[in-house]
Amino acid sequence: MTDVTITPLAAAPIHAVEIWGNPAAVAARFKAATGFALPATGRSAGTDALRLIRYEPTVWLAEGDVGTLPAILDDDGALTAIGGGIVCIRLSGPGWRALLMEGGVFDAENPAFATGDSAATIINHVAVRLHVVAENICHAYVPLSYGEAMIEYWKEVAGTLNI
Amino acid sequence: MINFTFDGKAYQAREGDTLAAALLRNGIGLVGRSFKYHRPRGIMTAGVEEPNALVTVGEGGRTEPNTRATDVFVYEGLVAKSQNRWPSLTFDMGAVLSVAAPVFSAGFYYKTFFGSAKRWMFYERFIRKAAGLGNAPVEADPDRFSQRAAFCDVLVVGAGPAGLQAALHAAEVGKRVILVEQDSILGPSLIRDPQELDAAWIEATATSIRAKGGRILTRTTASGYWEHDLVTLTQRLVEPGQVPLNGVSQRLWHVRAGQVILATGSIERPIAFAHNDRPGVMLSQAVCTYVQRFGVTPGKRVVIATNNDDAYKTAHALTAAGAEVVAILDARPSPAGAESGFAVHNDTVPQAAKGSCNGLKSVSALVNGAVKSWHADLLAVSGGFTPVVHLHMQAGGTLDWNEPAHAFVPAASRQNVTTIGGAANPDPVFALTHASDPKKCFIDFQNDVTFADVDQAWAEGYRSVEHLKRYTTLGMATDQGKLSNMAALGRLAQQQGVAIPEAGLTTFRPPYTPVTMGLLAGAGAKDAGAHVRRLALYDIHAAKKPIWQPLGYWVRPRAYPVGGETLAQAALREARAVRTAVGMTDVSTLAKFEVSGPDAAAFLEIICATSVAKLAVGRGRYTFMLREDGFVFDDGTVWRLAENRYLLTSSSGGADRMATIISYVRNTLCPQMCVSAVNVQEHYAGIAIAGPKAKAVLASLVGEDVPRHMSTSSASILGVPVQLLAASYSGERAFEIYVEASHAAPVWSACEAEVTGQGGCLYGMEAMEFLRIEKGHLVVGGEIDGRLTPHDLALDKMLNKTGGYIGASGLSRPALSEAGRLQLVGLEAIEGTIAEGSMLISRTGEAPLGHVTAAGIRIVEGGSIALAQLKDGFARHGEDLIATSPTRNQHAKVRVTHPHFYDSAGERYRD
Repeated sequence: MTDVTITPLAAAPIHAVEIWGNPAAVAARFKAATGFALPATGRSAGTDALRLIRYEPTVWLAEGDVGTLPAILDDDGALTAIGGGIVCIRLSGPGWRALLMEGGVFDAENPAFATGDSAATIINHVAVRLHVVAENICHAYVPLSYGEAMIEYWKEVAGTLNI
Repeated sequence: MINFTFDGKAYQAREGDTLAAALLRNGIGLVGRSFKYHRPRGIMTAGVEEPNALVTVGEGGRTEPNTRATDVFVYEGLVAKSQNRWPSLTFDMGAVLSVAAPVFSAGFYYKTFFGSAKRWMFYERFIRKAAGLGNAPVEADPDRFSQRAAFCDVLVVGAGPAGLQAALHAAEVGKRVILVEQDSILGPSLIRDPQELDAAWIEATATSIRAKGGRILTRTTASGYWEHDLVTLTQRLVEPGQVPLNGVSQRLWHVRAGQVILATGSIERPIAFAHNDRPGVMLSQAVCTYVQRFGVTPGKRVVIATNNDDAYKTAHALTAAGAEVVAILDARPSPAGAESGFAVHNDTVPQAAKGSCNGLKSVSALVNGAVKSWHADLLAVSGGFTPVVHLHMQAGGTLDWNEPAHAFVPAASRQNVTTIGGAANPDPVFALTHASDPKKCFIDFQNDVTFADVDQAWAEGYRSVEHLKRYTTLGMATDQGKLSNMAALGRLAQQQGVAIPEAGLTTFRPPYTPVTMGLLAGAGAKDAGAHVRRLALYDIHAAKKPIWQPLGYWVRPRAYPVGGETLAQAALREARAVRTAVGMTDVSTLAKFEVSGPDAAAFLEIICATSVAKLAVGRGRYTFMLREDGFVFDDGTVWRLAENRYLLTSSSGGADRMATIISYVRNTLCPQMCVSAVNVQEHYAGIAIAGPKAKAVLASLVGEDVPRHMSTSSASILGVPVQLLAASYSGERAFEIYVEASHAAPVWSACEAEVTGQGGCLYGMEAMEFLRIEKGHLVVGGEIDGRLTPHDLALDKMLNKTGGYIGASGLSRPALSEAGRLQLVGLEAIEGTIAEGSMLISRTGEAPLGHVTAAGIRIVEGGSIALAQLKDGFARHGEDLIATSPTRNQHAKVRVTHPHFYDSAGERYRD
């Protein structure tokens, strides 16, 4: 029985946000402008319009409308478009955790990896970023060139999770 | 009942039978032939340590040779075949070798097969025929193999009573628990030796573990223990040769555990006496297992030989099953066994076993100074117990010597591993003495190694146990000495006149039991272990049915043949279109990095060996990068998109390496810099348009304001934003159009329509190679092979004179300026065609002076040309050499030239 569904999402703007200086001041400007704080490492925060997911100490992945970010960053950081090279794949259903253990090295079955959490890991030799969107939904950000292979791999694996 | 075949004959088994149990149930005692002497062999054990009963299971691509009959559970339709025999198991011509056994003693191979290479070629034919057990399948395995990660607080290996209790305890205190058992059932030892903990207790315990979130895996062997408490598990989802329901036959688990508890138990030892390898001689606990678990009584008249109490359980089990225990030969002095009610002979060990190839007939022993013989069809032996310490040792653990048990037991480990149960506390045993002919006492059944072989190795000077192992082949092959190592160590220690612990130990390496190659390959078996990276425009290319070319993990169009063209014809047509009109190609795979921030220029001047800071906004330049030792490792272009924003491109094949270096510089060398360096290789698809009409094509797409050579500008095509880079790899006026990959398809189509409208065409990698060779442009992996400096490649004039870049110090080494270095040159054929990879020599028989890195043609005029690395090449222009490729039998007379064959002044870049 397959208890996870693999769905590639339509291409959408994604940016890398890097802060190299004055992090406290940037964070304050950010919160004042957006109404939410910059998320901590391994966490996400935001709204339907703009969501930031932090994967590295100084780098966030921004989904949505980033129109306000250049002014917030000023000379303390940079915004770079990367969405053209990433395919976001929705893994939905209770089996997404087991699915990510196949060919993986990250403890996706740990209940502490919960809604709002993120991780950067390797799955089946491909660099993948994970974002837990809801209890039964995880988004996987996969390099575009590996997208087809990963979808095929996950669909194949999904049918074998319970054996 | 379950139907199966053995050597083509149909039999029936019961549900849960191993193949060994089923064969015994059907009265089959002869199962295989030994490796060296082809001696008849039966079933000795009931577990993974089985050295004798090796069979081939399955058919076609699912064939698995060397499967232990004791470690495969019978399924409907199982096909098993015996091995290492011809023409049949009962009449094996190879058995003649047994007569010549004295000749084939230890070291025979080393003493016989030596001499010249010519003689070895002769020997090899026979050795190859004789070597190996079983035959590997020739068809591809149709099944899939899963590889899965798992994390837990506690991993328990072995589901005997100790393992089950440990797993239950850990689960009860809230730990994440994984319990693994190599058998198909939990608590197999409790089935063999029913105690207070019975089957109901096993079931209740397992239920509790699962209810508390624990994971229990049966048919799963902990095959290796690695650093950081990483343990690999091999799980059989179906039996060897069986068709899996979901297509997956095995799973390899990578378990990262907080703590590992080894409850691996111990393996019973055989006893050495003459002909102790005959069918009908079995380990005592194995006999007990067949009786208690499988309901099979392997013999009717049984002699038991032991040095411990455990074998008496077997005697009782046999009696209860209706067999007659005619004698118990107990090596211990009286009164051991006196209360058992059996005919016990103390101070007695077997002297010899007699029988035919199908079974045992009698057992003899020296009793009170006289030889006594018993008619028996089964001899159950127990020479003590060897704790299974393999995983503990693989974890970096040490061993202590347990004198009462005459066994090594686990001691300290640098990892978080604990051994419990029988493996930590083996039962005491009585030391055995052996009185039989050492030439007939087998200690390694799988490799036909006897006591005499160990003695001979000692006599010939092999003192180390590691040397002994390799000289005699003891402890090798599928069982890895599970039954033999302790006996061999004892014999070696005896020869050395030392205690066993002082004799040394061989190394315990993974895997514990054999692992199939398919399982190790996992999903990667399909693509040679690597993914195929798809171009963003893959579907568009595929529709044109190009010839594809692998390039690293990518596949790219090599050429687009039309009308039945060959690769060479298509490539030449495409290249000529670029030279005479216009062509377009996909350059999306190029490495691309966007570098932003006030320190962007300074950052790039560390990575690039050319200057960057003086580049005006909207301009670009060629650049190259050095390793720290001063050698060129990559090249590309750098573009100033805005005051504090640059785009760096470099080679496709070196993209991952460049990303690593940029990360290293950013995070390690220059963490203080105000800069962001982002890999945008896949964000942008790249379309190159080249040729005399390229500017016209672009103008029709974006308007007349196209950038001049080595300039960049933003534009849009069909409303899609694009970045235009006026750069050329072909030698013609050319542009690279970078567009967000997800919007690349319409831009490509618009460009293609204009290109074809101007009389041009698409071109692939092959034409690109022709073009760049003629122009004298470098390629990473060809001319840039990591051995040449900027000077060797005539790039030294472009070096940043202020230094500061990676490799600047290495470049100053005197050796890099000395004469005799390889340098980049061009070659023009005077006679013949230059083959790629050819050696450059001045006369036949002389040492090579260099080699051809890339061979091509003059695209319009014709004629063979090439780029090459040549010793002191800059000073040899005009010299005639021979380019010779003996492997291709291709030879050409060549003249050394400047490496630019086409438009060396760069006139064609200018509008």
